[in-house]
Amino acid sequence: MSQAVVSVNAAVLLPVLAPAVGAAVILVTDVAAQHLRRTHYVIALASLLIGAAGTFAGLGMVAGDARQTLCLPGGGGQCMFAADSISSALQLAALLAAALTLLLSWPDDKLQLPGGTAVMVSLVLAATAGATAVAGARDLGSWLVALELATLPTVALVALRGARSAISGAVALLTTALVSFGLLALAAALWFTATSSAFLTPAAALAVVDDPARRPILVLAVVLVVAGVGFKLSLVPFHAWTPEAYDGAPLPIAAFLAGVSKIAALAALLVVIRAIAPLGAPPLTAIAIVAALSMTLGNIMAMRQNGVVRLLAWSTVAHAGWVVLPLATVSSAAVHASGAYLLAYVLATLLAFSVVAALVQTRGSDRARDLTAYRGLLRDHPVLASALGLALLSLAGLPPGVLGLIAKVTVLRPVVASELWLLAVIAAANAVLGVAVYVRWLRAILASPDAGPDGAAVVAARDRQAHPATLVAVGLAGAALVLTSLSPQLILGLLGS
Amino acid sequence: MVILLLLAIPALTGSALIVSGRSTRTSLQGNANLLSLGASVATAALVVAAVIARPAVDRSWLPALGVRLQFSVDGISAPLLLLTAALSIAVVVHARSHAPHGGSPAMFYGCLQLVEFGALATFLSRDAVVFFLSFEVVLIPMWVLIARFGDSHDLAARADASGRFVLYTVFGSTLMLVGILALVQAAGTANLDKLAEAHGAGIERPSQIIIAALLLVGLGIKIPMWPLHTWLPPAHTIAPTAGSVLLAAVLLKMGTYGVVRLIIAPLPIGFGALAPAFATAGVIGILWGGLACLVENDLKRLIAYSSVAHMGFVVLGLSSGTTVGLQAALFANVAHGVVSALLFFLVGGLKERWGSADLATARAALREVSPRLGIALVVGFAASLGLPGLVGFWGEFLAMYSAWSPAPDRPEGFMRVLAVVAVTGTAVAAGYSLRVLRLIWSGDRTVPAHEDARGGEWSVLAVLVAAVLVLGIAPGLVLNSTIKDVAAITLEVSR
Repeated sequence: MSQAVVSVNAAVLLPVLAPAVGAAVILVTDVAAQHLRRTHYVIALASLLIGAAGTFAGLGMVAGDARQTLCLPGGGGQCMFAADSISSALQLAALLAAALTLLLSWPDDKLQLPGGTAVMVSLVLAATAGATAVAGARDLGSWLVALELATLPTVALVALRGARSAISGAVALLTTALVSFGLLALAAALWFTATSSAFLTPAAALAVVDDPARRPILVLAVVLVVAGVGFKLSLVPFHAWTPEAYDGAPLPIAAFLAGVSKIAALAALLVVIRAIAPLGAPPLTAIAIVAALSMTLGNIMAMRQNGVVRLLAWSTVAHAGWVVLPLATVSSAAVHASGAYLLAYVLATLLAFSVVAALVQTRGSDRARDLTAYRGLLRDHPVLASALGLALLSLAGLPPGVLGLIAKVTVLRPVVASELWLLAVIAAANAVLGVAVYVRWLRAILASPDAGPDGAAVVAARDRQAHPATLVAVGLAGAALVLTSLSPQLILGLLGS
Repeated sequence: MVILLLLAIPALTGSALIVSGRSTRTSLQGNANLLSLGASVATAALVVAAVIARPAVDRSWLPALGVRLQFSVDGISAPLLLLTAALSIAVVVHARSHAPHGGSPAMFYGCLQLVEFGALATFLSRDAVVFFLSFEVVLIPMWVLIARFGDSHDLAARADASGRFVLYTVFGSTLMLVGILALVQAAGTANLDKLAEAHGAGIERPSQIIIAALLLVGLGIKIPMWPLHTWLPPAHTIAPTAGSVLLAAVLLKMGTYGVVRLIIAPLPIGFGALAPAFATAGVIGILWGGLACLVENDLKRLIAYSSVAHMGFVVLGLSSGTTVGLQAALFANVAHGVVSALLFFLVGGLKERWGSADLATARAALREVSPRLGIALVVGFAASLGLPGLVGFWGEFLAMYSAWSPAPDRPEGFMRVLAVVAVTGTAVAAGYSLRVLRLIWSGDRTVPAHEDARGGEWSVLAVLVAAVLVLGIAPGLVLNSTIKDVAAITLEVSR
């Protein structure tokens, strides 16, 4: 059997296989024994952690090194799946973010989803498998399929709650997913036309260098990829679904959209950018414009929101702009910077979502989804308030949220190195707008509750205890953010040098 | 080791106080104050040790970005370190008798400690990126001090002042970050000492100008330099006394210190090209601040505007490009730190006694009812108007002198015009200082009577008055400390 058509190295594929197999096992278990709830979660968490363990071998590898598999026979290094340090870091982040999402949605005795927990959990696992797969995909076919695998389950996840807002959010998400798929399929076709290769590798892209006629086709393909991935990454002008979907979805699913989905989208984009990076392309103006627009519009709209989930949704848009900002300079440093920024953002935003989820559980939805409900949080729930404060400061990029600040330093570096001064100044202005967004929330947290606008002190009593799993999620994300703020190298090192 | 310890003490004390803010033991004013006082005194002792021994730290922190934790002390940073450490003790001592309002004492003292940590780290840092990080550390604690513990008469004004403070400064520091990254990229090193030694070698003139402009605007907001000063008066008006003191005496210094470290030393050509514009902004600031002081009726806001004027002299000195000018700027920096601290302590105390800081209301004359406050006020405003023999004189006099005879590559005639305008600024300063003294110090009204300064407040004021006198009589204490490193920057050793 050694002469298989393609060689398969299961160890390299473990981050993809583990959640996929986990999803299958859960569905089978559900058929065999109904009314199980916690078992599904345990299986899911176990498979995610096994997958996460599978990424360790690839973390922090030297540039150029990669663990490859699904290689075509005959050598030549044509492999359909490769896990180098960046792919592995994104896979790890996706798996851990998914695990955190599951902790947030840990079965509450009161909550009943249609289809039970098995459907929900297996959808999360399937989307996560898509995210980890797209990070390693190196050929057009698996890249497209994996990206859709990461997207389509989220539509179902948003719709699952069945409420009217959830359905409208899901429809918005589905529509954009379809448009995005169309663009990406077109981009894939153009890529194949330009390079005559189904592989998304530098080797394939380099074939275009000598042929000026094929170069514009490749550029068009890349621009279409940016547009297609822009939908998933919530870049302006492809962002419109984001607030609808976040607000309509259950809170853990919104966290999933902000975490795993964004990792999948960026991973997909980075595969293409890294393939063309060695070409020494001029700065991609399209990305620069999209980044500037996303940051600006996202921040301005976030400043006007009074619902915290919508605020976090618009802040996603703004941060998506920051994430792609360095990619305007097509370079290897930019790819690292972009990945580092995304990981910092995901960690901080997941912590914010976890705290909001914990507050929804303790004080009820109506007293946790609105900005005014956070007045005096520091007095009522000092620990949760401190965690939220740290998350918001990290998103704003101010110490003590050092991680967020270092992330901003990292993404600005390639921009400055390429002397894109205008873009750098726009980014600086957006750092201010971003601070204005989160300062509103911070001010509410710090405010004294008795000084409320209506003059009546809100009774702090009758708060229930949050679910332990949610508190574990807050604790884990909080500890991770504190550690990485003390030593941001923990995150930067993951991505390799 | 000394340096790491002196940074760790305020950082850990501050974090511990904030995190444990709700526990009953630290929520008591006395406990939090004692803990904070102990930390500040220990830090100050270590700062003195560090200034004498001049140790250095160099550790890897972020290999991926090439950022290292490099800290050391030199002649330029030593006076500022001592000033920061001393004032950190002073604000804590002062707060013993003037308990903070608006939040838990642990939060208040925790924020003070974090501001001290950030300021010390800024002055100690020898890595440009770490410098930027430290610069940012002070922002949120200071924002909390203003937004939470500030004057609560007008909540909208407080929200506006604190928001304005944080947004302006963040914009400034992000521009500075862009400039720092460009500088590091162009020079190939983030080490401030190496950058200073290179004197801009290898960086083209256009790049130098662009980078210097980015850094100047960024740091100009922090200084604050006209026309970027509009955040300062509201912030000072609203902030609690401790916040005002640290803001004026420590945070503003970080801006001018940054100009020396990040612009003048590593980018001499770029700064030379921009110096006339920079100096013009400084001189406009002198006049603008002075004229505003002549009509301003809120005493705290008046002192804030006088800060703008004083920092104008610092800017003028920096722009001259000579050793004397830099010396003048660094001395005026320290002088303004001492004088503004004295005045803000005084005015904070007066505002508490009066219930407002409005000058239009008739009050009891200070010399009649509270002679201690009165004498401190006279000394403070005399120093502020630049009376010879007091600390304010040397910096301003030398700054104007250096503008009159600037470095060879500066437009001499233009700089002389600026020097003349600056002289008129000192006349305006005399005008507003005497106006304030006439309004609140002289006269023979004795009602409504108020208490004179006692205990902690009086000891803080007395020490600051002594500092104003000592540094005024013996300016060499600071000038001799800075001269060697300043001469290395301006390359005037051979002269």
